Amino acid sequence: MQLTQRAKHVDRHPMTWIERLYFWNILKGMLITLRHLFKRKATINFPEQKRSFSSVFRGLHVLNRDEEGRERCTACGLCAVACPAEAITMEAAERLPGEEQLYREEKYAAKYEINMLRCIFCGLCEEACPKDAIYLSQTFAPSNYSRKGFIYKKDDMLIPNPLTEPETYKKALGERPAKMIGNQ
Amino acid sequence: MIKFSEEKLKQVEKIIARYPEGKQKSALLPVLHLAQQEFGGWLSPETMDYVASLLGLLTIEVYEVATFYSMYNLKPVGKYVFEVCQTGPCITRGSDDIIKYIGERLGIKPGETTPDGLFTLKTAECLGACGYAPMMQMGKGFKEHLTKEKVDEIIEECRRSAAINN
Amino acid sequence: MAKVFIDDIEYEVPDGKNMLEVCLSLGFDLTYFCWHPALHSIGACRQCGVINYKDENDKRGRITMACMLPASNGTRISIEAKAAHDFRAGNIESLMLNHPHDCPVCDEGGECHLQDMTLMSGHNYRRYRFKKRTHTNQYLGPFLNHEMNRCIQCYRCVRFYKDYAGGKDLDVFAAHDDIYFGRSEDGVLENEFSGNLVEVCPTGVFTDKTLKQHYTRKWDLTSAPSVCHGCSLGCNILASQRYGTIRRILTRYNGDVNGYFLCDRGRFGYEYTNSKKRIIKALKRVSGTYQPIENGNAFEEVKALMGEGKKVIGIGSPRASLESNFLLKELVGENNFYGGISNTEGNLIKQVIDILKKGKVKTPSLAEAKGYDAVFIVGEDVTNTAPMLALSLRQAAKNKPNEEAFAIRIPLWNDVAIREIVQERTGPFFIATVHHTKLDEISSGSFYGHPDNIARLGHAVAQKINNNLPSVPDADRESASLSSSIAEALLAAKKPLIVSGTSLFSKNVIEAAANVAYALKEQGKDVGLIYTVPEANSVGMTLLSENFVDDAIARVEKERADVLLILENDLYQRIGKKDSEAILKRCNQVVAFENLENETTNSCDYLFPAGTFAESTGTIVNNEGRAQRFYQVHIPRNEVRSSWKWLDILRQDLQTAEAKDFDAIVDELIQKNPELQKIKETAPTADFRIGTQKIPRSPHRFSGRTSMIANINVSEPKPPVDNDSPMSFTMEGYHGIQPSPDTAFYWSPAWNSVQAINKYQIEVGGPLHDGNPGKRLFEPDENRQAKYFNDIPSSFHPSNDELLVLPLYHIYGSEELTALSHAVKERIPQAYIALNENEARRKGLNAEGGKVEFYYQDKKWELSLKIDNSLPDGIAGLPKGLNETSGIGYPFRTKINS
Repeated sequence: MQLTQRAKHVDRHPMTWIERLYFWNILKGMLITLRHLFKRKATINFPEQKRSFSSVFRGLHVLNRDEEGRERCTACGLCAVACPAEAITMEAAERLPGEEQLYREEKYAAKYEINMLRCIFCGLCEEACPKDAIYLSQTFAPSNYSRKGFIYKKDDMLIPNPLTEPETYKKALGERPAKMIGNQ
Repeated sequence: MIKFSEEKLKQVEKIIARYPEGKQKSALLPVLHLAQQEFGGWLSPETMDYVASLLGLLTIEVYEVATFYSMYNLKPVGKYVFEVCQTGPCITRGSDDIIKYIGERLGIKPGETTPDGLFTLKTAECLGACGYAPMMQMGKGFKEHLTKEKVDEIIEECRRSAAINN
Repeated sequence: MAKVFIDDIEYEVPDGKNMLEVCLSLGFDLTYFCWHPALHSIGACRQCGVINYKDENDKRGRITMACMLPASNGTRISIEAKAAHDFRAGNIESLMLNHPHDCPVCDEGGECHLQDMTLMSGHNYRRYRFKKRTHTNQYLGPFLNHEMNRCIQCYRCVRFYKDYAGGKDLDVFAAHDDIYFGRSEDGVLENEFSGNLVEVCPTGVFTDKTLKQHYTRKWDLTSAPSVCHGCSLGCNILASQRYGTIRRILTRYNGDVNGYFLCDRGRFGYEYTNSKKRIIKALKRVSGTYQPIENGNAFEEVKALMGEGKKVIGIGSPRASLESNFLLKELVGENNFYGGISNTEGNLIKQVIDILKKGKVKTPSLAEAKGYDAVFIVGEDVTNTAPMLALSLRQAAKNKPNEEAFAIRIPLWNDVAIREIVQERTGPFFIATVHHTKLDEISSGSFYGHPDNIARLGHAVAQKINNNLPSVPDADRESASLSSSIAEALLAAKKPLIVSGTSLFSKNVIEAAANVAYALKEQGKDVGLIYTVPEANSVGMTLLSENFVDDAIARVEKERADVLLILENDLYQRIGKKDSEAILKRCNQVVAFENLENETTNSCDYLFPAGTFAESTGTIVNNEGRAQRFYQVHIPRNEVRSSWKWLDILRQDLQTAEAKDFDAIVDELIQKNPELQKIKETAPTADFRIGTQKIPRSPHRFSGRTSMIANINVSEPKPPVDNDSPMSFTMEGYHGIQPSPDTAFYWSPAWNSVQAINKYQIEVGGPLHDGNPGKRLFEPDENRQAKYFNDIPSSFHPSNDELLVLPLYHIYGSEELTALSHAVKERIPQAYIALNENEARRKGLNAEGGKVEFYYQDKKWELSLKIDNSLPDGIAGLPKGLNETSGIGYPFRTKINS
């Protein structure tokens, strides 16, 4: 019984001697290869060349600082609770007198870890953050020699200080519009 | 160490006697008024502690009461105290402008006293004269239907009488 | 019963309630702040506004506060009406004008009643654009953090602190938009129950300072239902951990025991569980120092020591569970097991148990104690030996004057009106102690004397109630008139309560208290009799012990023992230095199962790391004979285990040893001790499931599971399985209302704060859905002919050259383990020796703080003098259990020099 009109008849006759030489088929394949030599390349020379991403691309996490270089994260735990992969964990600490130039508010993350092996880069942490402290940057494709290296610590994610290292800060910021990372 | 005079102590005893035995706590308000009158027009922590010892109260109980009522001054005040009403009816009739204006005229903010010790500006909650808003209390009297001109007048008047009394 | 209408639906509700209670009990979500089930209504916050209709024809109605509206027959309200809704949303908007909205840095965030109520009210957008008023915060001591800006002026803190707990140093200042709740100046909040402000405050004004040091959100905590080990009352607690350390203690509601509150010792004394001094590995002493030893080897070596024909004795512990004590007894044999307290203390507790079992008077629970209307305390400084009982007694003191309010038909919930009538009056409350105690401030008559004189006062009271009893010989006039007025007041009361305890180590005191209660019972009074005992499981251990440490000492003096097994017991703390050394030296090998290093562990040969309440599961019996189960919070990543697990392996053949689970041990225990039958009913067995589900220890929002230990081990291990309870260590499991003994946290949709407890109760403030946890082992039998004690001691005569030294108790410091916690440490008083002025002068001492020397067990002790004029002549007081006074056994006689 035929269900659709799209069924294609398959030719099942035994191959002839000529056909079994595959001469014509090889030539056909070679021609395709040859033709592609003159076409535009589908790949780019990564990492020398990079593709530009859409402004909503979600790469590795960055822990943000404010315009005075103070860490914005207050270790409130909302990113961790929002994380569907349960890949974020942190421990809060109280800011001591004299640390006001380091941390923006009276609490900060003494420990902040993301298990990048588990992270699915959904961006819910960024969405949950009430302090614009975490955002997903345009950096991607991290590599490492061991699985352990993918447990990102706070130091691996903290953005460079805009006051002392403006160049690297800018680079880390990526091409996202400033508005989107709450750094007006 | 501050202490009431013999005569005032008798007055305190009289106030306490108004209330049933063992309820001398009730005498707190009038005794605080007396103390404020007696010790410089305001209640210093020492004054309040003294009142507490007179009535056998914990000091914290006296602070609780003294901070509640705006009639007790917890800082030294000037000769003339302007207590401008800032509750709804007065606010809608512009008492916030009046407060601002008095502040500008005297160079002080609410709660402060002029350096010459003449004026203190305070804000107050409803004083029950909404029909004459905006208004303020000055000493024992009310000044009603306040306008900027009227405020100027009052300030001038105060300055004059202060000069005479000196 | 009354019929009320809520949104046009009829409900039958109990009489004498207000509409807020009724709505919450029926499961409606109605917002409130100032109302609290234990503090009742004052109608201050205006948050529970509903529309009240006159009758079914009334379509307009008027806004009324549900908490001030009696739920009388025909009451008609609407919660859902738009006007009511708008009112509540508008009200919360005003309350929040100055609230800093700093939830991300606030410790209350995620379990904040204000957050819950804001969402519930529907207010979600802030329109106020002006500057917020700010306050300066105060230093309130090591327990509480103050953040006044968050305050929404509900007045719950002062109502709890001043009215409920009798605190003096927290108050409210100023008025309208400038209200300030705090002390008059920076300083430690003195009251023993200040920690409850953490739970009473609807937002983050008062938060737990010890939690702040290792802060964790509520949803990230793994908790277990537990029982406080700080004193003998057995208050229910929720102990929570993350990353393997205990983070905080919260009240676990038990309508029969502690209700909504806890004392500060129980709440803040947990940090010893995280101490660096914890023993976390099996250790063996090799040439004077402890070396780690493989578990298996430790078992083999200890087993070899205990081989055939060896003389082995075991010493139990009043702070270890029934199961651990039982297995030690099984391991060493019945005749070789000794309760880990002195014979004096052991016999006192035996006598208390005897009175509980064979007496005819009811021992009320902590909650029931609140319902008595006259109190007579015989020789117990309750505030310091059993703090939560003091809180109950403070409520009992209000009952008599409250009756005046009830007489004019003011219901109990109308707190404002009641307080207007009652003012600061208290009911009949008599105290006989050695020295001035904190409850004296509400007492109608206090007596200070030697324990024998306290007992004589008790006997005199009993004699005045029942004239057939022998009268007290040579009674002085003063105590005779006091005893008459006490007897009169107790007889005039409907429900008199007698409180006594073992803290003075006096048999006479215990007997006198029982006599008073028996005499009142015979007069037909509904009398209660409460005894406090020294430690969390004093009663439980004593039920399993025939002999105590002094018997063990006598035995080893006669004949050296080969092995001494010590279960969770610092002998130096309990029987004094001399006796401890006596026994330790006469045993060839000493094996201890211990939580922390202490003086006893310094002279052991093998140490096994025993779990504290945080790492063990077990059952303990409190002072009223209530058996309660506590569960381990987590399985630590070291070798620490419940003592009974170690003991269980040790008693088996090591080749075929098989770890038994908790229920098997309990079965064995009750089979051998049929009187403890009920401990099996204290909690469900490990195979209990709801449907097919276990009960979770973590809330469903628990975060970070794939990253928490990723820094240690990238591949996630399987979560540990708890074979000893029906609970899981993760969030997997049943998330509805769990069985009350196994509830690890309170949460209900839209109720994230501790107030979610409303949903776990049959009616708010009442018992939990399936009954309050815990089972009483003894019940009184009215028909029993309990015998009076006729041994009246003679009056104490101070001797000229010697002083009798009695222990004085301190809530912070007198308990061995909690005293090791940082926060509690800050509150421990300086060690002192207390004398009255008279006595001090006679000894040539006058200045408070001067050095005093005395001898105890041939050792010279030096402490500074404290003058306490309430102490009787011939008696000195020493703070029990402080570092400087550890190793002293009470009471003793000594000479003192300046």
